[in-house]
Amino acid sequence: MKKFFGNLYIVIIMLFLYLPILTLIVLSFNEAKSMSVFTRFSLKWYGEMFHSKLILGALVNTFSIALLAALIATIIGTMAVIGIDGMKQSTQMVLMGCNNIPMLNADIVTGIALMLSFLMFGISLGYCTILFSHITFCIPYVILSVRPRMNKATDTLFEAALDLGASRGYAFRKVVLPELLPGIASGFLLSFTMSIDDFIITHFTRGAGINTISTLIYSEVKIGIRPSLYALSTVIFLIALVVLLVVNWNNIKNERTAA
Amino acid sequence: MAELIRLENIRKSYGENEVLKNITISIQEKEFVTLLGPSGCGKTTTLRILGGFENPDSGRILFDGKDITNVPSNRRNLNTVFQNYALFPHMTVGDNVAFGLRVKGMNESDVKEKVHYGLKLVNLEGYENRKISQMSGGQQQRVAMARAIVNEPKVLLLDEPLGALDLKLRQEMQYELVRLKHELGITFIYVTHDQEEALTMSDKVIVMNSGRIQQEGTPEEIYNEPENAFVADFIGDSNILSGKMVRNHLVRINGVDFPCIDGSENGFAPGLDVDVLIRPEDLEIHPAGKGILDAKITSKLFIGMHYEMLAQADTEGDFEWLLQNYDSYEVGSMVGLYVRPENIQIMHKPKTQEEEAIEIDI
Repeated sequence: MKKFFGNLYIVIIMLFLYLPILTLIVLSFNEAKSMSVFTRFSLKWYGEMFHSKLILGALVNTFSIALLAALIATIIGTMAVIGIDGMKQSTQMVLMGCNNIPMLNADIVTGIALMLSFLMFGISLGYCTILFSHITFCIPYVILSVRPRMNKATDTLFEAALDLGASRGYAFRKVVLPELLPGIASGFLLSFTMSIDDFIITHFTRGAGINTISTLIYSEVKIGIRPSLYALSTVIFLIALVVLLVVNWNNIKNERTAA
Repeated sequence: MAELIRLENIRKSYGENEVLKNITISIQEKEFVTLLGPSGCGKTTTLRILGGFENPDSGRILFDGKDITNVPSNRRNLNTVFQNYALFPHMTVGDNVAFGLRVKGMNESDVKEKVHYGLKLVNLEGYENRKISQMSGGQQQRVAMARAIVNEPKVLLLDEPLGALDLKLRQEMQYELVRLKHELGITFIYVTHDQEEALTMSDKVIVMNSGRIQQEGTPEEIYNEPENAFVADFIGDSNILSGKMVRNHLVRINGVDFPCIDGSENGFAPGLDVDVLIRPEDLEIHPAGKGILDAKITSKLFIGMHYEMLAQADTEGDFEWLLQNYDSYEVGSMVGLYVRPENIQIMHKPKTQEEEAIEIDI
């Protein structure tokens, strides 16, 4: 009996979490445009999605911005961590404090502030301003995920490499970088998802005629959302699901070989 | 033996904190030298300056007669075994040992041979492909040794390498280290706070406290003839008392006169206030009235090889003597204590705070 209620509880939680997504997936296969009545199974919205220049453009923008922003933010963030590591303890504290503020700050404040700065310096809003903004808000997350890997033990490893005759560059590449790598990877992935997820900051820093998926969906809501966007959302969800499964499967496999 | 390393008037401060106060050390070729002292005495900083990881504020370092003060660590002909081994966790044991050789650009077949030789030397033959995480603490210690010695350095620096091992393993490794030193014929500079390690392995011990050298000498000299209360107290168990020279070869401690072998000929003139060291094992126990002074046993501990007892003497001053003896004496019994004159070590009173004993035992 106890077990039954336990299982029921889990089923209810799962329903709450996944029923909305399931609804979306079902509706993406609906032939009618209706949000409430399922008439007939059809792939027509998927067809429309792949023919819509608007949607494809938004997709390209979203992923190219996410990839570039994550890459550049990861490089800058990692360099920042290395720089911070060489500073005095008190300076480190101040810098890490500064690093935390942008993450706690409301997105809307960051968004408006970035927009105003771009306008003040006469930079016209467009693809590049979105990219700059995304790099800006990703850097603190990279720093936060790489920094714990850069500790006293890492410093000693660096010294040990120097002691064995390595140049500073060689020691960094062969010894320090592999130590930082897990942090760098998680910083990159975090930045990538944050960038794809972002709506508010993108909304304020994009120019006319340029859309990411989130801003596109938002603008469509005003004129009546088309089921092709359900199809798009379904595709994105499935991609995320597959990536997640692959990553987890790899982790499990690694743990098995390590054990 | 020729001088290999010379540290000259080294000073080092971190902000307000003066860690090394004008240190001069001379190290001979093929010597096993131990820097011994409590934590914060500057021994590790000295080692780091030698390794090239810290720059001294002033002074210079000579290596084989050449000034290497400004030579970076990767171009010094010495290798370090770090306190926590600092093995590269993402590399195998073999790659760790090969690191220094590959940096030098040695070809792979020679590298392989050398790695094999290095691991054999530390009794880890065939462990090349193990991961570091699969090695125990003692094995990691050996890998760190192998990684350093395959580079054939002239000097090996060891920073408390046995600190993380348990007692049994530590004793085993002490023998190993001495064996390695003889087999390799290179200079070892060893940092530790463990006086037993220092005494068992070293050719020369340098005792440090608060950034100054307190005494240097052979283990026997350091133990038997400490120059001040700090050294006496830090090394071995001790009874350290205040005394006054009555005349040559006679010192008064707590109102009792003890014959000794020091006098004005070696700087202890009559009337001088001195510190006196008597090792607990040098206190001979005789029947009451037959010694120099009588004392009552107040406590007794069985230590294994011997008994350790405390005895309260009925003299001026309130001092409990620490005794070590193979025979057991009942608590409450009266005994006579006797010390041979040559076992009384007379020391000058501390001129500075760092020469004082850190804490008087008991």
